[in-house]
Amino acid sequence: MDKSKRKLALPHRILMEAEKPARYTGGELNSVMKEADLVKIRFCFCFPDVYEIGMSHLGMQILYGLMNSYEDVWCERVFSPWTDMDAIMRREKIPLFALESQEPVKNFDFLGFTLQYEMCYVNILQVLQLSGMALYSRDRGEDDPIVIGGGPCTYNAEPIADFFDIFYIGEGEVNYRKLFDLYEEHKEKGYRKADFLHDAAKIEGIYVPALYDISYNDDNTVKSITPGYDDIPATVRKTVVKDLDGSFYPTAPVVPFIQATQDRAVLEVMRGCIRGCRFCQAGQIYKPVRARKVDTLMRYAEELLNNTGYEELSLSSLSTSDFPGLKELLERLINMCNEKKINISLPSLRIDAFSLDVMNKVQDVKKNSLTFAPEAGSQRMRNVINKGLTVENILNGAEMAFKGGWNKVKLYFMIGLPGEEDEDVAAIAELSNEVAALYYDTVPKSERQGRVTITASSSFFVPKPFTAFQWAAMNTPEEFLRKAAHCKTKVREQLNQKSIVYHYHDASTTIIEGVLARGDRRLAPVIEEVYRNGGIFDAWTETFSYQRWMDAFESCGVDYGFYIYRERPEDEVFPWDVIDSGVTKKYLYREWMNSKAGTVTLNCRDKCVGCGAGSFTCGICIQPRGGAA
Amino acid sequence: MSVSVRFRFSRKGPVRYTGHLDMLRYFQKAVMRSGLPARYSEGFHPHQIMSFAYPLGVSMETEGDYMDLDMTQELGEEEMLNRLNAVMNEGISVSRATVLKDNAENAMALVAAADYRVSLSGDTDKAADAVRRIMEAQEILIDGGETKRGKKKKDPKNIRQGILDMHIEEDGSLFMKLVSGSAMNVRPADVFDKLNEAAGGGLYTECICRLEIYALRDEKLIPLADADKKDA
Repeated sequence: MDKSKRKLALPHRILMEAEKPARYTGGELNSVMKEADLVKIRFCFCFPDVYEIGMSHLGMQILYGLMNSYEDVWCERVFSPWTDMDAIMRREKIPLFALESQEPVKNFDFLGFTLQYEMCYVNILQVLQLSGMALYSRDRGEDDPIVIGGGPCTYNAEPIADFFDIFYIGEGEVNYRKLFDLYEEHKEKGYRKADFLHDAAKIEGIYVPALYDISYNDDNTVKSITPGYDDIPATVRKTVVKDLDGSFYPTAPVVPFIQATQDRAVLEVMRGCIRGCRFCQAGQIYKPVRARKVDTLMRYAEELLNNTGYEELSLSSLSTSDFPGLKELLERLINMCNEKKINISLPSLRIDAFSLDVMNKVQDVKKNSLTFAPEAGSQRMRNVINKGLTVENILNGAEMAFKGGWNKVKLYFMIGLPGEEDEDVAAIAELSNEVAALYYDTVPKSERQGRVTITASSSFFVPKPFTAFQWAAMNTPEEFLRKAAHCKTKVREQLNQKSIVYHYHDASTTIIEGVLARGDRRLAPVIEEVYRNGGIFDAWTETFSYQRWMDAFESCGVDYGFYIYRERPEDEVFPWDVIDSGVTKKYLYREWMNSKAGTVTLNCRDKCVGCGAGSFTCGICIQPRGGAA
Repeated sequence: MSVSVRFRFSRKGPVRYTGHLDMLRYFQKAVMRSGLPARYSEGFHPHQIMSFAYPLGVSMETEGDYMDLDMTQELGEEEMLNRLNAVMNEGISVSRATVLKDNAENAMALVAAADYRVSLSGDTDKAADAVRRIMEAQEILIDGGETKRGKKKKDPKNIRQGILDMHIEEDGSLFMKLVSGSAMNVRPADVFDKLNEAAGGGLYTECICRLEIYALRDEKLIPLADADKKDA
């Protein structure tokens, strides 16, 4: 079907009322049109945030491409209508529609949400309601789409469990086909939603929350999580792509007309991370580390650029410096890209001689700022969080960069880490000063182009499920702000204070994120209340309201401090214990204890630390390494 | 070697809700995909040397807009069109590609007038009379807008001289030939508003389509594609 002949869901006058009408018209390059009559499954994929953010997300492009490669499935996209369009659609009673066919979401077989951050939860309710569906799974009918969630937040999606029919745990490439086959089978033999969901719960990675009963202790902690049937698993194991190199890759991603946040081609070189930073959830839930082959990546890069016309290619992974074939890949990419006048961007690259050399070759001569993520100011704290970056690493990298002509450095820190003292916070200021001083020592006066700029930013730490810090207590907003103020004072005391800019994030958003991250099913009414009181786009400072959340906790009788301010005991049952991420609770607890002792744990290329992900028998877990394998 | 090529393009359907800067980005990517030998600017941040004759407003369709591109190699018209059209999104296509003579003026400076087709709905039977009244008037005043600092309102502008032609077509749509350029620039939406005013309200338009853009040569309007042709 010709995209230019589609009838749009929104009439002209309404589109002209919108801030950016192209958010709602679809029809972009590489978007997929199919004949609705010729497919068996209509899947509507939702990123519950604004179009430009959602379209920058690689995971959506992977599943969109994969599902549309199935002849019997048509996957379309929908995003949260921005506040202007949200108001218009409510006023005009226009049901939310998918971008490709422009047909109402409610007519689809599946509505799939990717859950990338907790602050998008209210937007899920926005999308459900604008689609004309009941918010709670139990209130929806046989004809409503199956509402399914995926992505990192599903590792503890309990606060939103009542709104969903299914959570897909793990990498979607593995079992969506199985789920679709089952759905078609049920449709053929006479579909009953409850029967389908029951059968679906038997597929690996498929969690049907309604089929698990949660009981609580008198102290409000979880007592037990019990499956409602004998033939569904007690814990839901995540699915892992064993052969990443042979798995589907979207080399013809949808290219937006309007500028997305990521206006570039993305090449995912590796999944997982060898470094066991104790605060990092991604580092645990995407285990084991699996890399693609350089030849494969070169083929993808060429196809990507030919199919999209992007003028920039970005390498993506949790830690690109740890990609085994990086040197060869970059040499070959630089050759190809220089010829095509394409810029290569290298986020998450450790700053050292090699990366600076590469950056000199690939990036605009105009030297942008360099970024280091020490995460904590003092070496003691960096040991606590197991961040392997030392002061020497940072200073050596910075020195080379300054010699190479850079004069802007960004430093990222966290405040509120477990066991943190005021002197650790002050160390943020001292480290920033050291880097600034180094510039003046390194670069002779005659060669300086103005003052060096050190931008130190700190975010407030949120303990996440499936990390060593899942037992940890969070700081209160008052503590956060006091520490940030302390840091600011210390920055002002430094010799080079004029060269240091210090920023810190919003403490109130952090608190809500913390509650949602480790919350349980009793939070659903709170989220509903916040939404009913006008809460949408909580991830945006201009639309977020802390008071709205505080009011909702109060009116729902929920003590939110319970979820964040307690240090949890070793034997506590967590709401997310129903999920089996491969990484064992025993290993995580060992890491929690190591953290308290300030003991560093080796990365998993140097030595297997026995985290449990080896049970997936793939990637780095089956490669020979130093130490005990 | 450097050669400038003027592409005539059309844009139809839902893609008309794209803004001008997004169209620029769209064409840059299309040129990349097509493998046309684009010439890049020198300097720190090399980019394609591309310019448009007349920014396309959000929601406007076109059958005859122009984009100039510098290339490092001269190719035949058919090959250039084929290569670009092969990688175009549905709704956007190129219909002509003319190689320009050296030192050709940039397209934007050339623009002297443009034709439009305006869809009409509502009380369309009042349209013909309103058209006649506008064409018979000596003065059609529109709001002059504000001064650059936005403090003072400018005097109203008389755009009557800028309306070169206006009539109702057989299919019921409105045709307009309007003066464009730096001296006087008449916007089709302003003329439509005046027409609606003359009709006493009740006229609507859902779609304005630009049909052609002209340059002025020897006091005659000629399509931009034919101005500054290399072998003319």
